[in-house]
Amino acid sequence: MKLSPLQQHIRYGLVGMLMGITLSYIGFTNYNETHKMFLFADLRMLFTFAGAVAFAAFFFNFLVQGLPATNKHLHPGVIPGSLLFGAGWAISGACPSIALVQIGQGQLGAVFTAFGILFGVWSYRHVHRRFFRWDSGSCS
Amino acid sequence: MEYLTWWKGALALGGLTVVCALMVGRMLGVSGAWANVVNWREEREKRKTAAALRSNAPAMQNALLAATLAQFGETATHQAFANQGITLPAQAATRATPTSGVRWTAHLTFLAAMVLGGFIAAIASGQFQIRLDLGAAHTRLFGTGIQEWLTLLGGGILVGFGTQMGGGCTSGHGLSGVSRLTPPSMLATAMFFGSAVAVSFIVEGFA
Repeated sequence: MKLSPLQQHIRYGLVGMLMGITLSYIGFTNYNETHKMFLFADLRMLFTFAGAVAFAAFFFNFLVQGLPATNKHLHPGVIPGSLLFGAGWAISGACPSIALVQIGQGQLGAVFTAFGILFGVWSYRHVHRRFFRWDSGSCS
Repeated sequence: MEYLTWWKGALALGGLTVVCALMVGRMLGVSGAWANVVNWREEREKRKTAAALRSNAPAMQNALLAATLAQFGETATHQAFANQGITLPAQAATRATPTSGVRWTAHLTFLAAMVLGGFIAAIASGQFQIRLDLGAAHTRLFGTGIQEWLTLLGGGILVGFGTQMGGGCTSGHGLSGVSRLTPPSMLATAMFFGSAVAVSFIVEGFA
């Protein structure tokens, strides 16, 4: 899809805003809810996530043609990286989008989470260059 | 506040994943947007190089050759071409790198819009409140003030580092990847969910 710079800004802005609103109303931005989900004490958000995947899968596999390419490759970083991410999610209550939405809601502790994410993303590129030999295949 | 029933939330979140794919022509993925924004200087260089190569076929060939040389070594490459009766130039200069094609500023807009979305939802539901903690459960597990903030900083670093290393996050692997039935994404999602569950039970045990 070829978009002009302005179109890119508008469309990404719209998707980001909708995402912030959606995550807020689901409760993914509330640590109390997230923690209950990970302890299986409340299955509501687990069902929400599974349902969202099922709904999107139905669209992608049966209804929509000409989908954008996926850039997910299997490489040696997938398992250790995901394990680290899960640990971080459990103690900060944030995945990369959640921290930003929390800041918008006035939960300013998440500013620390966002700075952490910033530093983590920045440092990974250097660590990868220095120590890891695999091609992550990610062009984004 | 009263949160959405699971099936309403599922429709909204799944719908968003589909809408993103159709509207911007790329699968939803927030950690990729972070990478593009944080490494903006490098990404911008890549975009420029890619655009220059597309408009310059000899440079493109040169770059492909350089990548081939880097991958297989000088001797093997020259041998392979010689077998087909082609003599290669002695030195190939440039090196090509793939690029996402999305301006880092558009991804910055994407991230900033999430802050705005959170603000709109909080105002609309009457929940907006400036506060420095993350609520009762987080305070009970990790304390308040500097202790809680350091936890958040450390957790954030794990999230940033881990999503880059693993090649995606809840949206890129979890929503987009799994719904497209991509095996690496299914593996990644099982791993980060499992890890989050394990760590949650551990911290609950220590509290």
